[in-house]
Amino acid sequence: MSTQRAFIWSLTGVCALVGFMLTVELSSHIKPQPTSGTLASYLDLRSEIDEQQEENRLLTEQIAKAKAQIAQYQAAQTNQADLEAALRHDEQQTAAAAGLTPVTGPGIEIKIQDDPLLTPVGSAAQDFQERADVWISEVVNDLFANGATAISINDQRLVTTSSIRWIQGLNSLPELQVNTVPVAQPYIIRAVGDVDHMLAELTLKDWQANFNIMQEDFIVTAHRSANGVTVPAYQGPLPGKWAKEATSK
Amino acid sequence: MIWLPVLGLIIGAAIGFIANVNIPVAYSSYLSIAILAALDTVLGGVRASLEKSFDATVFLSGFFFNTLLAALLAYIGEQLGVDLYLAAVVAFGVRLFQNIAIVRRVVFGRIGKRHGKEAERAEVEA
Repeated sequence: MSTQRAFIWSLTGVCALVGFMLTVELSSHIKPQPTSGTLASYLDLRSEIDEQQEENRLLTEQIAKAKAQIAQYQAAQTNQADLEAALRHDEQQTAAAAGLTPVTGPGIEIKIQDDPLLTPVGSAAQDFQERADVWISEVVNDLFANGATAISINDQRLVTTSSIRWIQGLNSLPELQVNTVPVAQPYIIRAVGDVDHMLAELTLKDWQANFNIMQEDFIVTAHRSANGVTVPAYQGPLPGKWAKEATSK
Repeated sequence: MIWLPVLGLIIGAAIGFIANVNIPVAYSSYLSIAILAALDTVLGGVRASLEKSFDATVFLSGFFFNTLLAALLAYIGEQLGVDLYLAAVVAFGVRLFQNIAIVRRVVFGRIGKRHGKEAERAEVEA
């Protein structure tokens, strides 16, 4: 009888352990990911889908434009004047996209200049004097990423080959060069584009406070009218001026 | 009394659910092999009990020893790059089925004997 009892109790204990081990093993495999992870992956997936849809939309637009262009060329094949007009239209579009034509429209104007009346904060005081190009580039990149379609700094139009550099001048003082042209304070950044979007980004990044602690004014003026801001055309050398297409021998 | 092991199994499973223990995937194979060894020991115990040769010390020590040894074998195999856990899987798997077969035979034999006795008694009474 005692052997039977020992058997039952031993088996009970061992069964409890086996049950525990089985549950741990199964739950370790079946258990879903934590909620936050699932949510994060879901959000990632959503943003991925949105990006793909946006890309798809842009590509569809490009295809439609290309088809329209082909149709235009085909229609103009018989008429030299029409073909010339179509090519001229293309040239204008390409020039506008390359920043070779001045543009006017609603936009914002940012004025950056030294202001000794502002109180510097810690080591940030000299930061702008040491790397103004980095700070201005960041502002410009933010604007381009948030609705700006054309930007100039002190009337120097920014295009794909533009440069913003902080150079030691001949008088041993650093100076800002945009498109290799020296520009002096106050730095005026003009941007044509979505005014609200650009203002929101500037507010979100708190650029004014960031510049103020470096003893720099950061005065933003919004011009919402159709002729609000004018950004001049790019006047610098084009990539094709020096570089020529290599011909195969 | 026979329901006690079932109750133990349920309690163990419940603790497992409530404790919410989550083992890393890397150790999952060790636990799997340990479970196989534990099941083999349980069936070995049931068989020994049916054959009237059950010893609690042997049973309990066998449970822990086999379980740990199986996990250790899997671990060593992984370190050496040899699938040593297969040896444990085969050994415990074969024994598991042997034990099940013996338990089945013993149980059916007892049921057959009981039915035979009842039929004999009915004949005598008639």
